[in-house]
Amino acid sequence: MSQWHRAASLDEMQEGEPLAMQVGEVALAVYKLGCEAHAIGDLCPHQKDVKLSDGFVDGDVVECPMHQSCFDIRTGKVMGPPAREDVPSYPVKIEDGVVYVEV
Amino acid sequence: MNTTVSEAPVSTWQARRWPQEREARIPAWIYSDPLLFQREMEVFHHGPTWNFVGLECEVPAAGAYKRSWVGTKSVLMVRDEEGGIQVLENRCAHRGAPICWENKGVVKDFTCPYHHWNYDLCGNLQGLPFLRGAMGKGGMPRDFRKDQHGLRRLRVATRRGLVWATFGDATPDLESYMGEEILALLDRTLGSGRLRLLGYNRQLLPCNWKLYLENSRDPYHATLLHSFFLTFGLLRTDTAFRAVPTLGGRHAIMASTYSAATAGTQNEVTKQLASLKTDFVLQDMDVVKPVDEFGDSSMINFSVLPSVFFQQHGNSLAIRHIIPKSESSTELSWTHYGFAEDDPAMHERRIKQANLMGPAGYVAVDDSEVLAQMQPVAESAPDSVQVVEMGGRDVAAQETMVTEALIRGFYAYYREKMGL
Repeated sequence: MSQWHRAASLDEMQEGEPLAMQVGEVALAVYKLGCEAHAIGDLCPHQKDVKLSDGFVDGDVVECPMHQSCFDIRTGKVMGPPAREDVPSYPVKIEDGVVYVEV
Repeated sequence: MNTTVSEAPVSTWQARRWPQEREARIPAWIYSDPLLFQREMEVFHHGPTWNFVGLECEVPAAGAYKRSWVGTKSVLMVRDEEGGIQVLENRCAHRGAPICWENKGVVKDFTCPYHHWNYDLCGNLQGLPFLRGAMGKGGMPRDFRKDQHGLRRLRVATRRGLVWATFGDATPDLESYMGEEILALLDRTLGSGRLRLLGYNRQLLPCNWKLYLENSRDPYHATLLHSFFLTFGLLRTDTAFRAVPTLGGRHAIMASTYSAATAGTQNEVTKQLASLKTDFVLQDMDVVKPVDEFGDSSMINFSVLPSVFFQQHGNSLAIRHIIPKSESSTELSWTHYGFAEDDPAMHERRIKQANLMGPAGYVAVDDSEVLAQMQPVAESAPDSVQVVEMGGRDVAAQETMVTEALIRGFYAYYREKMGL
């Protein structure tokens, strides 16, 4: 059963500084892009114990700090090796300037 | 006279000279000099030569790999995603650790255990931890380019299911390196190229690699060292035999014709030569009864420089990979194979006949034992000289087993390439 979880107020967030969250078993991170927010799984499919949110953000792409696999922040799609799988993408809504993620 | 560090002496082997009667003598120091060994690796193994690496059927799926050796360098034979074969040096571009510590497996990419540098199946550097630093500190310089720091790739040639590789940039093509006669034999012994892997043996020989190579080019010892041959009639003095050095002694062929009808019995001369009691019997005589699978009544064994011997012993087919470790240690790695087309009877026959081969084989055990005994003697007397005049003093092909022409041929080639 999925639920909406509060992430942060959009104004408090900074572009290029993802917010890592743990919801139960799920590790994810929320990214600010202009006046939007996006949430994707945070564990790199290539080497599971590495957080994408520790990596380098360039516009709408996040690069894993370990081996530089890139992922589209909006969709979670993997963009190049060595990772070969996408990360999950979670629905996001913004209500009264606050970002919520559905997990 | 004082010598300081800056006056380091010339490497010992460069000050040595081959004995006067060059063609028919071998100096024992070539089996024990460590710097000579290094030079041999450069000239024969890591240089412009084609080296056996493995069989294509050992790496069937994309990402499948097998570790092997070219000279003293560890390499990985890998099936890439396009279905091609890569041979990569197993040495991280970062600090030189071996990136792969397993003998075989199936992977999506390679990650070095030390700093986790990650390479794709073709050896390209895909990623390295903290390229951009951690928490704003460290990281590689901005101008660091991954495409300049991949694994060293060897040039690869595959033919009839076998994989060969070379480190040399100037190595001629495989066909030229083998020459016509060896190429024809490779095609004969590999048949359709649809090889079926039967199994492996591995052994560590406490001797110089050239002692094994000589042994594999020495038909003279066959009826003398290997009592099993005589007792069970596998080698008879009435078989036709040709000893042929090729390409100036680079490779060597030993071809005999036999009769499947008489195999397993002794003629009178063989009985006289047998040094074991003739009341020895085998429980399973299939072990010494081959089938003429190539249809030419021939048993042809050949040695391809620098590191591989193609065995046809009855129906036991194997590739013996000579892997030098040091001047006094050599790994001998056997790959036993058959063909996809083999029926169950042939498969069984090959497995049984393989009991003559390998580290504990009824025949092959003699070679490793005698060479293990020889090495310390060679080391104790480096200035002593071996005499190889059986069959004469030249290097022409001969139609007899009682010749050392193939050994003389090898050393003629060796001296030329080593500048000795």
